[in-house]
Amino acid sequence: MLSLTINNQPIEVTEGTTVLNAARQAGIEIPTLCDHPHLTPFGGCRLCMVEIDGFRTLQSACTIPVTNNMVVRTDTDKVKTARKFVLTLIFSERNHFCPYCQVSGGDCDLQNAAYGESMTNWPMPPNWQPYPVDASHPNFILEHNRCILCRRCIRACSELVGANTLGVEERGVKTFVIADLNVPLGQSSCVSCGTCIQVCPTGALIDRKSAYLGHEKNLDVQKTICVGCSLGCGIQVFSRNGQVIRIEGDWDAPINSGILCKTGRFAPLTDDRQRLTTPLVRKDGALQPANWEEALAAAAAKLQPADQVAALVSTRQSAETLHLFKHLFADGLKSSMVTSLEEGSATSLLSQFAASKGKAFEGTLKDVEHADSFMVFVADLVNQHEVAGFFARRLMQNGAPLVVIDTGENPLNNLANCALTPRTGKELDLLTGLTAAISRLGQNKAVFTGDAIAVMNAAAEMSGVSTELLLEAGFKFASTTRPVIIYDATPVQTQDVLNALVKLAEISGAKLVSLKGGANSLAAAQYELDKPFRLNSHQAAYVVLGDENPSEHLIKALEKAPFLVVQASHTSKLTAAADVVLPVTSWLEQDGHYLSADGQLQKAEKSLPACGTAVRTNEEALKSLAQQLNLTAVGNWKAELLQRLSPVEIAA
Amino acid sequence: MTKPKVASDWLAGCAGCHMSLLDIDERIVTLVQVADLRATPITDLKEPDETGVAVGILEGAVNNSANEEVAHRMRSRCSILVALGDCAVFGGVPAMRNFFPLEEALRRAYVETESTDETGKIPDSPELATMTRARSLQEVVPVDIFVPGCPPSADTIFYVLSELAQGRKPVLKDEKLSWI
Repeated sequence: MLSLTINNQPIEVTEGTTVLNAARQAGIEIPTLCDHPHLTPFGGCRLCMVEIDGFRTLQSACTIPVTNNMVVRTDTDKVKTARKFVLTLIFSERNHFCPYCQVSGGDCDLQNAAYGESMTNWPMPPNWQPYPVDASHPNFILEHNRCILCRRCIRACSELVGANTLGVEERGVKTFVIADLNVPLGQSSCVSCGTCIQVCPTGALIDRKSAYLGHEKNLDVQKTICVGCSLGCGIQVFSRNGQVIRIEGDWDAPINSGILCKTGRFAPLTDDRQRLTTPLVRKDGALQPANWEEALAAAAAKLQPADQVAALVSTRQSAETLHLFKHLFADGLKSSMVTSLEEGSATSLLSQFAASKGKAFEGTLKDVEHADSFMVFVADLVNQHEVAGFFARRLMQNGAPLVVIDTGENPLNNLANCALTPRTGKELDLLTGLTAAISRLGQNKAVFTGDAIAVMNAAAEMSGVSTELLLEAGFKFASTTRPVIIYDATPVQTQDVLNALVKLAEISGAKLVSLKGGANSLAAAQYELDKPFRLNSHQAAYVVLGDENPSEHLIKALEKAPFLVVQASHTSKLTAAADVVLPVTSWLEQDGHYLSADGQLQKAEKSLPACGTAVRTNEEALKSLAQQLNLTAVGNWKAELLQRLSPVEIAA
Repeated sequence: MTKPKVASDWLAGCAGCHMSLLDIDERIVTLVQVADLRATPITDLKEPDETGVAVGILEGAVNNSANEEVAHRMRSRCSILVALGDCAVFGGVPAMRNFFPLEEALRRAYVETESTDETGKIPDSPELATMTRARSLQEVVPVDIFVPGCPPSADTIFYVLSELAQGRKPVLKDEKLSWI
């Protein structure tokens, strides 16, 4: 521990703490602009200048580490004058006009800093030279007139997302934030994750949807989790009058620590599907509005026990809903065809494998976050589960190698140190070859039995990937201490390939992490809602669609259903084909638990009021139905979640 | 004791700050008990006393030679000059046009607006003031007190005027300080 005093207040901090963080720990406020708790200190804005005994000049508190017996002052005239001067220079550097900026009035760190110093004016005029506005991006705008060059966006783009799209060109007053080699943002390598907007201290980076829709103090804020994929990122939902204004990453969330992908941040804002607000019942061939009693009675009349009903549920639903659904249809109505809309495509193989091994075999996203080499095996981390891709990308710039294995063109190929493209159907050979190559190199962390050279040569022959490439990839991947293999179980398909993958992980000492489709796919798997769907002699089908978009495949599969009940929040081709439609809440209007891809049980909180009085949550709708059918659900959702062996340890 | 004389005028503004001044409502009675309100755009007397006033208040940005003249006249006749509102303090809304060449701004205003027919033309009478870049007041004359806000609230204006009338320098901070 080191001792120091700030404004005569004695403080003890651990070695390596900056003066700024020491002050924060002691509750002493030092204004900052370029500093961000989740980014590397930069020392660019000079607002955090403090007086330290023994130093000739003022020092930036964000970058200077505490030394023992340091004497710091943050409230002297010299410091205050310097702060005002720094702010004066920043205001005069470009063109800041508070009356017509949407962050002005509480959401602007720059304005708040000036208020903090009681500045009533800018002693120097603005620049007056107009700076360009880059509005080429569909989701956000870069307004250079308001940019203070703090480089938070650039550091976030690099350190948090690993995209490295943003940077600066030129120097001094000519310094400019640019995308790539100065191309419009909309045409750049930007991954549209919007992390830059979340960290921008001024109105320089603003998102199109939320601009001018209210300051943070006027909005309702609810922390919850995103149900866009199986990662379970923490989010903050900002809403006003029941409308989502914007979504931000939750800095305190254990899984994503603040970052989000374009789907998580922007997709819910652009959802323009028509909401269902009243139950509908088909009468004389057409869907007619009805009340819940009529709709439930119409549904219950056709939902007969003894395997007459096929039932499907969305994996975007909570564990509570999935549990109730399973008991209602599998136990209550004795149906043999009770499954999820994903039909276990991303999980059934994993569950079976875990059962055959008798234990969990996968690592967690924390392993991905702390890995020092990556292998991506037939997984698309650019279009799905993007945040896992960000973890890999941001570590790659610290030297963590990336090996990509895919039978086709993988979007990460251009970033990979080694991109291995086996012939279609020869993934197994490639994995075997890679395992042999690692053993041949003596990098194996487990015993390899057999002739490594012969196995490798045979595999190279079969897969069409040269032995040189196998050795290179093997060396890059396995000569590290914390390698991680990220794979998507959906295209893996066979137990043999999964076996080979586990063998490769053993030999290379790697952790395996798989992507698991929907937000609650793992929970659905734990409840055994993972069979392939088939409509046999069922007399009715019940679909808990929720806010999911029905796939063409599903619509086709249900065409032959003699009677169809759909529980949905939006109109779709499937609700149009239904005989009874029950209006339910969307993901933001209900709460419940979700099991992430790496086995973390998290609660999604209700963030918006229900859309209309006749709308019930998915869980309530199922409860009403159970009541109508005189069935009672038994069992505990949480306990039953743990009954089946899971591919990853469940932290519940 | 004689009451300090207060005069005000407006430049390139929208009169909103003076409207906000009127929003002090009945407190204007309190104000006239401690100050002598002289020339203002909303009273009959239009020019500040040649013999001088204690406090001069200007609203609006300086955007042509006529504004400059008014600003210089007020500065020369007052002891304490108050820049009232965002236009006077920072340039405000009129300063948005600084991002375009003057010619382009005039053409947009007089010729290209949707409500203008083909007869629209840029006024060119020699009697008209010469347009300049829109500037904050302190770019033209020294300013003593800055009261930002668009407009400053009635409470802020009342606080500033009552402090000045009683010979104190108003300090705008915390909830009294707002630039919008």
